Amino acid sequence: MEQTAPVSPPILFESKTVRRYILASYWVVIILALPLWWTTTSIERQSLPTSDVLSRQSKELVFPVHVDIDAGNSKLDSTVLARGVQSYLDGNSDVQRSQLQIYVSTLHSTPGAYQVSLQSAVQDSTAEERQLMFSAHLDGEIQTTTDLAMGLADALATLLAPYTTLRTAHSDRAVTFAPRYRLAFTLLNEDAASENAVLSWDVANSLSKHLSPVLDRLSVLHNFTVESQVQYHAPLAFEPHTLYKGAAVEYGLTQEDLTVFVNSAEWTLSSSVSSDPVLHFVLFVPSSRHSPLRILGTDGIPATSSSFILPQWGGIVLFNPPTINVTRHLPTAALDSVFVTFRHQLTSLLGVPALPAQVHVETRAATSAGITDWQLDALLRRRAIENVGGAQETLQSIVRLVAQIENMPVGQDVKGDVQDALTALDEVYAAVPFSLEVALKHAGRALTLASRAFFNPGMLALLYFPAEHKYAVYTPLFASIAAPLVVAVLREVIAERKAAAENRHTRLKAE
Amino acid sequence: MWWRPKFCLLLSLYLGPVLATELFEEGLNLRPLRDGKVAAHFSFTTLLKGATLRDPQSLASDDDSQHYTLFPLALGQILREYAVTELHLTLNAGSWDYNRWGYPDEPGVGTGAELWAWIGDGATISVDQRWQGLRNALAGLFCASLGSLDEQRTTSPVLTFTPEGNLPNWTASHQLRHATLPSEHVCTENLTPFLKLLPCKSLSGIASLLNPHRLFDADWHGLGVHVRYLQDEGVEVRLAFQAVLDPVRYSPARRRDWSLRSLFDRVISTACPVAHSSVIRVDLSLVNSYSITPTPTAVHDNHAVYPVVPIEQPLDIAMDWPAETTFQYPLVSASPLTPLSIQRTLKGWGQSDGQLSLVITNHLPVPLQTGYLETMPWLLQFYLHTLHAQIDGTTRDDLVKVITYAAPVPHAQPALLQAVLTLPPRSTLRLTMDVAKPFLRYTEHPPDAQRGWDLPPAVFVPFSLDSMGTDDVLRARPTRIYTPALLVDLATPDFSMPYNVIIMSCTLIALMFGSIFNLLTRKFAVVHVGDAPQ
Repeated sequence: MEQTAPVSPPILFESKTVRRYILASYWVVIILALPLWWTTTSIERQSLPTSDVLSRQSKELVFPVHVDIDAGNSKLDSTVLARGVQSYLDGNSDVQRSQLQIYVSTLHSTPGAYQVSLQSAVQDSTAEERQLMFSAHLDGEIQTTTDLAMGLADALATLLAPYTTLRTAHSDRAVTFAPRYRLAFTLLNEDAASENAVLSWDVANSLSKHLSPVLDRLSVLHNFTVESQVQYHAPLAFEPHTLYKGAAVEYGLTQEDLTVFVNSAEWTLSSSVSSDPVLHFVLFVPSSRHSPLRILGTDGIPATSSSFILPQWGGIVLFNPPTINVTRHLPTAALDSVFVTFRHQLTSLLGVPALPAQVHVETRAATSAGITDWQLDALLRRRAIENVGGAQETLQSIVRLVAQIENMPVGQDVKGDVQDALTALDEVYAAVPFSLEVALKHAGRALTLASRAFFNPGMLALLYFPAEHKYAVYTPLFASIAAPLVVAVLREVIAERKAAAENRHTRLKAE
Repeated sequence: MWWRPKFCLLLSLYLGPVLATELFEEGLNLRPLRDGKVAAHFSFTTLLKGATLRDPQSLASDDDSQHYTLFPLALGQILREYAVTELHLTLNAGSWDYNRWGYPDEPGVGTGAELWAWIGDGATISVDQRWQGLRNALAGLFCASLGSLDEQRTTSPVLTFTPEGNLPNWTASHQLRHATLPSEHVCTENLTPFLKLLPCKSLSGIASLLNPHRLFDADWHGLGVHVRYLQDEGVEVRLAFQAVLDPVRYSPARRRDWSLRSLFDRVISTACPVAHSSVIRVDLSLVNSYSITPTPTAVHDNHAVYPVVPIEQPLDIAMDWPAETTFQYPLVSASPLTPLSIQRTLKGWGQSDGQLSLVITNHLPVPLQTGYLETMPWLLQFYLHTLHAQIDGTTRDDLVKVITYAAPVPHAQPALLQAVLTLPPRSTLRLTMDVAKPFLRYTEHPPDAQRGWDLPPAVFVPFSLDSMGTDDVLRARPTRIYTPALLVDLATPDFSMPYNVIIMSCTLIALMFGSIFNLLTRKFAVVHVGDAPQ
């Protein structure tokens, strides 16, 4: 039985060298295939201009503002006054915070500068376009230069930097910027089947009379789509408080009621066809069961005002129809006061700042629609700051997110949007000294591009197909193929070592 | 005179010059049927007088402001955004039984969702893009899955769905888009937005009868939105709700007596203040020996008419049959109410092919022609050469005239078959056609794949052969007849398949690789185990 097998002549491929070539070629194929496998299974991650984005973190817009002071026929030295105003303005914390660089001078050279002229003849200060007629009087007396400089600086600070937390308590009332708003005017009857319903209104004429000038004036900031409807059944979601006022009964809405006034489940106010933000303006006619309806102050006493603003949503005016001369249609004349209120609500929702208390608007200027260039410029500056800030913040979020999640694909479109947003931001900074409107246009574009990049649906792809999933699919194939390959290499190595040891052994023996 | 003259006067006085005058009319038709059921048809029509449509060529620029009082703004926005000339959307549940119930008041009674629109061409945005936008907007407005009425279901059957209004004379032509989704179900979430489009919601007037608990309990129910343009009048929106209610089922004594309260669980307590007219009509043509309360204001043409005027006491119309103790179901099959009876079935077994079979009976003593329309998704593919007609066992292929046939494109486009059938008097035509059932891709199956696919109904438009035909109804209004929907069972895979396939193929590859690799790298030698024992 014990008999060594006679060594049969080896077949060609069973020789040691051929076997090693075969093994090596397997490994070569695998190693050559690896890059191909890597490129076909890896996700596209374009490199984003990260350093460019991050370097903008602390960059702020600074608006140069030129104010020219003309002392007019008063006996004051305008140079001294200008210097005084300049120093007061530089010390004003509101101005410092609002990214303004104010240059006060007495020259009338700078184009687009704000003109201030002292008026000793009038009692009231008036603003018109870019001019301010500042009254040199205080309580009927001509003021000293120092007092005047302080007063003027104060007025200028309020005009140029109206958006400070101290001055506007309702700063969150204004809607966020959008290039286009839908303005929806609704005549809302609580119950048209009751006695004092209003069935129709002359909305088109009232709109063109009261709102069109404002909308034209604000068209540098936004486009508007205007629409109106009438609703005949719009029940309240709560029961108003009953107030007994002698023999008469009134109904009141407390401040808490106002916050839940809009019954979005049953009032058909929303519009579905576009994604533009909607500002609602509602003329609410209470049913005879809840009439007259008043707004209660915090002390529970009916307030004189019959309108209120819901921040970022719109405005509501309560309309208690007269008990005598019942009219089913509201003509333009009856709507005048309502639409004046709507106009105030619209401007305040869009963030148009109020003038300082001591300054009045020049009513003769019909073209400006009651909004001076001082206010419009302040609004343009504010929107530009907001949009640039928003765009920079969004870009930083993208960069941070992409760095954080390694499986997130970054396509060419995202990269393009980010780069375009950065270019638009550069254009904003370049345009600021020359034109606020151009700056705002670029700022709006930067924000739109940045948001589009941030919400790009392509960046979500990998969340639904994690890497673990991929390995689970590959393992059954690769594990079973890798085992014989690795084992064959190990066996070759062991055989080589054994042969080497045997060699040495025989050599030793031979010696 | 049932409307309030004062309001009309005020409306016409003030709205005249500035706004297009708007007119709202509501009506309810109640039709007691021979089988004891009651067909109810609510219609709410708003006419925007003197309104013009948006020319598609103006789509690139900003639209005019829209100011409406009665017209639903949400719908007006959609119509102007996509410059749609005519629009018909119906959402129905159940199949309408033409033999027992006759023609419905609204012709669109196909099961599920059906949407068709005439859209003017010539805009920078193509008709198909606007059609897509339109169905998505309507899907959002009515909370229905109309978004799935995509290219795979959209056809243009211009012979059957002719415009109901006028098409304005623009430079570019109009195009029809039509799609059906028979698996869509109508329910409360569709009725709520529907009611919001009405001026008086469901709080006053006839609309206050629209009680979802009763309507969705009905044997058949469906809602419809119809927009059309009338050249001399303006734009008209008609919101309609139809239901077939069964008072016998509600009654413990199994009587067919009904009243508004028993049918809808509501009565009309206030009139809609803005309705120009508001009328309830009860069709008395199909029943006899009844009594009806209150006494109708007028009886026209076998219809009892009740105007809904501002009323002191709630209006509740009731009808009863004092002579009957219980309702006896009549044998209605003997005398169908429509000239045609149609059965459509899918025959055959297996998952690769089958046969579509139609049985069409003409009940009239005159020959009849009918348009026949199939808009079939590619889930069922016709072998058009196998289309054969038979009458009493003899082949009569001459009775079928195929007008257009657009073959389906798998995974992309449905088939469209338009044909005209000639039906000899008092005869039954049997139509058969072989069909193939395709193989779907793994991702094309719906979540409940084993249920099968709903196929849209076929549509027939009967018209009299000679123009002097006897049937007045037929000549007056060539109306559509929908067949019931079909269900097709397609081959469904085992949905755990991908992983099985991966594991299986990996195992096979590993096995083959291992053996070849071993053959190449191992050394084979003959081992002598020793001589055989001697």
